[in-house]
Amino acid sequence: MDPEPLWLTLRLATLTTLILFVIALPMAYWLAYSRFKGRSVVEAIIGMPLVLPPSVLGFYLLLAFSPSRAFGQWLESTLGLRLVFSFPGLVVASIIYSLPFMIYPLQAGLQSLPASLREASYTLGKSAWTTFFKVLLPNSKSAILTALVLTFAHTVGEFGVVLMIGGNIPGVTKVASVAIYNEVEALNYDAANQYALVLFVVTFLILSIIYTINNRLLRVRHPA
Amino acid sequence: MKYIALLVIVLTGLGGCTEPNKKVVVATAANVQYVMQELKEEFEKESDTEVEMVVSSSGKLTAQIREGAPFDVFVSADTQYPNEIHKNGGSDVAPRVYARGTLVLWTLDSTAIDLSINRLADKSIRKVALANPRTAPYGEAAVQAMEKAGIYEQVKDKLVYGESIAQTSQYIASGAADAGFTAMSVVLSPEMKGKGHWVKVDSSAYQPIEQAAVLLRHSEDSFKAQPSRDFFEFLFSGKAKAIFRKYGYSVE
Repeated sequence: MDPEPLWLTLRLATLTTLILFVIALPMAYWLAYSRFKGRSVVEAIIGMPLVLPPSVLGFYLLLAFSPSRAFGQWLESTLGLRLVFSFPGLVVASIIYSLPFMIYPLQAGLQSLPASLREASYTLGKSAWTTFFKVLLPNSKSAILTALVLTFAHTVGEFGVVLMIGGNIPGVTKVASVAIYNEVEALNYDAANQYALVLFVVTFLILSIIYTINNRLLRVRHPA
Repeated sequence: MKYIALLVIVLTGLGGCTEPNKKVVVATAANVQYVMQELKEEFEKESDTEVEMVVSSSGKLTAQIREGAPFDVFVSADTQYPNEIHKNGGSDVAPRVYARGTLVLWTLDSTAIDLSINRLADKSIRKVALANPRTAPYGEAAVQAMEKAGIYEQVKDKLVYGESIAQTSQYIASGAADAGFTAMSVVLSPEMKGKGHWVKVDSSAYQPIEQAAVLLRHSEDSFKAQPSRDFFEFLFSGKAKAIFRKYGYSVE
């Protein structure tokens, strides 16, 4: 078994999770606390990757990234970037694909905090910025953990989008899920089994560890 | 609750048990799908049998057939997969070659009049699409052709792999890849005709892409046995051969 696809999956999932966390934090804050017109539309757009088949997303991304179309052409001429068939392209696609998995838990976590927490901080003269980082976030550890893990796991399990825009290049876009698909196609069930088993065990371990930690966090907050 | 039960019954199709009509399910390799559409229409005209196509890559279809997929005839892109099925007892009759495929080089860039394999080494061409050479005969042929032209090492880092000839063609037709190798049947299909610019790859540069079909065991002990055999035989008829030729295949 060639470990490269597994390594690639790990890199993709880690990068996607980190970048998405930074992007999602302000969005979740905004969605949790502000009331504005067109809010339902914004929420619907964020939730789209949850329900759209990955093939739809992959198809549109393929067209968008293609250098023969307006957006892809613009990317190439101004930034010298070609996202189709490239690792950065997979990262961008994964960020879109996993967006709701990061935002929803964060938003729900922030919304579940009692308003008195924020109000107390404000009356003590703390800014919104300090309140967010020193009061709200430390009280949302469980939600943050859930968001990070769901995003990571969802990116590990990504297949349809990668297949559509990746081009199956070894070491660049051939992630573990695609490698499994290839081995099955080549009737090489042993290799497919090995990749599949590694993914199976790794995801099981990650989820178990996270749930253990999460349960402990909850017990601290609500002691029995 | 009553309505839910009713809905489940309707949705599972239990409500409408229709008469089974004569139908042949043909597992079709992606490169054959366009020509198969025409073959299907022709066959349906001369017999009262309905033909249903299931299109995928040969490798995937083979995996599905091995696990008992309900297909009657398998029209593959190569000879290896049908042989594999025959060897594993999925068919009692040896596979037969129905046509030989033609490899073409294709680009969406209609200004590329002097398109040739050697041009692929040019800097202006950044991505070259081909079908996965491990599983698709057209991909294997493309690698052979590039090796023969002595440019494989230069082009290697530009290669992107489609999981089947269909996806490879989609990479080229959408402009996501600058050029690529596909089957002649694709560029001659009604859907793709006139799109971009293509040239035949010198047929001496790659091993002949022999494509075989096989009558599957699944069809044998059912009421579909005769229509399945009829369709299988039809693939080798004069009428079918003429249609294959029209789509760029060579037939004996």
